[in-house]
Amino acid sequence: MMWTQEVREGAIVAVPRGKIDESTAQAFGTSLEEAVGHAADAAARLVLDCSGIDYMSSRGLRALTLAKRKADGAGVKILLAAPNGVVREILAISRYDKLFGVTDTVEAALTV
Amino acid sequence: MLVRFWGTRGSLAVAQTAGSIRSKIARALVAAGGRSFADEAEAEAFVETELDFATGGTYGGATTCIEIEADGDGSFIVCDMGTGLREFGINAFGRCAAGHQRVYNFFMSHLHWDHIGGFPFFGPAFDPGAHIIVHSGHADAEEALRRQQQEISFPVAFDWLRAKIEFRTLVPGESYRIGGLDVEVMEQHHSHKSYGYRFTDDAGKTTIFSTDSEHKIESMEGEADVAAFFRDADLVICDTMYSLADSVSMKEDWGHSSNIVAIDLCHEAEAKRLALFHHEPIYSDEDIQRMHKESIRYEELTRRDRPLEVLCAYDGLEVRL
Repeated sequence: MMWTQEVREGAIVAVPRGKIDESTAQAFGTSLEEAVGHAADAAARLVLDCSGIDYMSSRGLRALTLAKRKADGAGVKILLAAPNGVVREILAISRYDKLFGVTDTVEAALTV
Repeated sequence: MLVRFWGTRGSLAVAQTAGSIRSKIARALVAAGGRSFADEAEAEAFVETELDFATGGTYGGATTCIEIEADGDGSFIVCDMGTGLREFGINAFGRCAAGHQRVYNFFMSHLHWDHIGGFPFFGPAFDPGAHIIVHSGHADAEEALRRQQQEISFPVAFDWLRAKIEFRTLVPGESYRIGGLDVEVMEQHHSHKSYGYRFTDDAGKTTIFSTDSEHKIESMEGEADVAAFFRDADLVICDTMYSLADSVSMKEDWGHSSNIVAIDLCHEAEAKRLALFHHEPIYSDEDIQRMHKESIRYEELTRRDRPLEVLCAYDGLEVRL
């Protein structure tokens, strides 16, 4: 799992890449919570650009929940942007699309 | 090894309503499209081959009771005493009349109502020639069964039962030889704890019974131990009561798991089959069927080297391993 991050239009945009399963979920979760910290410091939203994620298992999804709890406590909004078809299906099957805002593009997540 | 599901519903027994049966019949008639059938056998063939399960059948509503039939020592092996136990008891009478041993080895996941409520209606408990051995990780199993038959709750006292009834406490991490099977026990996260069981017969076939087990979000690293307990199983019967989102939000700490986590654990364990189990009582047959289809799809999306067959348990299902 690779992780890059940038500030764009006042938001923290994080870009994880690869598969997120039990072998990578811990690193994903750590990076995610650090990004929540950066977003809290900047009073910005956190946009997770999901376009590079091949698939995400329950470990990755639950890491998202842990990060969301931290984000909610810090007043940070997390949005999931541009998931591929596989990740979008997983978000629907797990009903995580009810817990998180999901947008088709990163640009949409920056403006909603 | 043959696994027979007598009760598959979680938390509370449910029954079909007149309205739900009417809807099934209406859907079947529409699917038949005006066809006529010569007799019931022909109509049943249509139901079997052309209707989906939620229309032509039902997942049932009895609570947890599973029988494992293996070439063991000839005793009955039964997991939990939910309301499905009543039907098992009636069926067992027939088999005993045909010569089956009247020895019953029970393995208890835990002692909540939906897992013990069938015992007061278990006919063989009134058979003076029956021997019932209740194996449990809980040392208070006897107290739970006696208490539910106190007069305030039930008219027949536990002491009026005629069978010889024994209680044996099992210890997680230990291995046992019971009923001609190798049995291992795992402690699980649930209110007042629950226990999972791994049964292996002499042919090497393995069934896991893991219900009422919440895999806590704060301790995901511990799931490697669960996967090790499930390792290479031929069948994993797993609590899949909620969606993952529900299990980490409004239903967190309710003691149950999800289809998504169960599939991930089975993938990690390289298990061969998963039976979705302990169905949410508010789910209709259509809801459970949808959950089954989604589970199959999630398995496809996250599959590794070996496919995992995803079954959906229903009252009356038999799985031969």
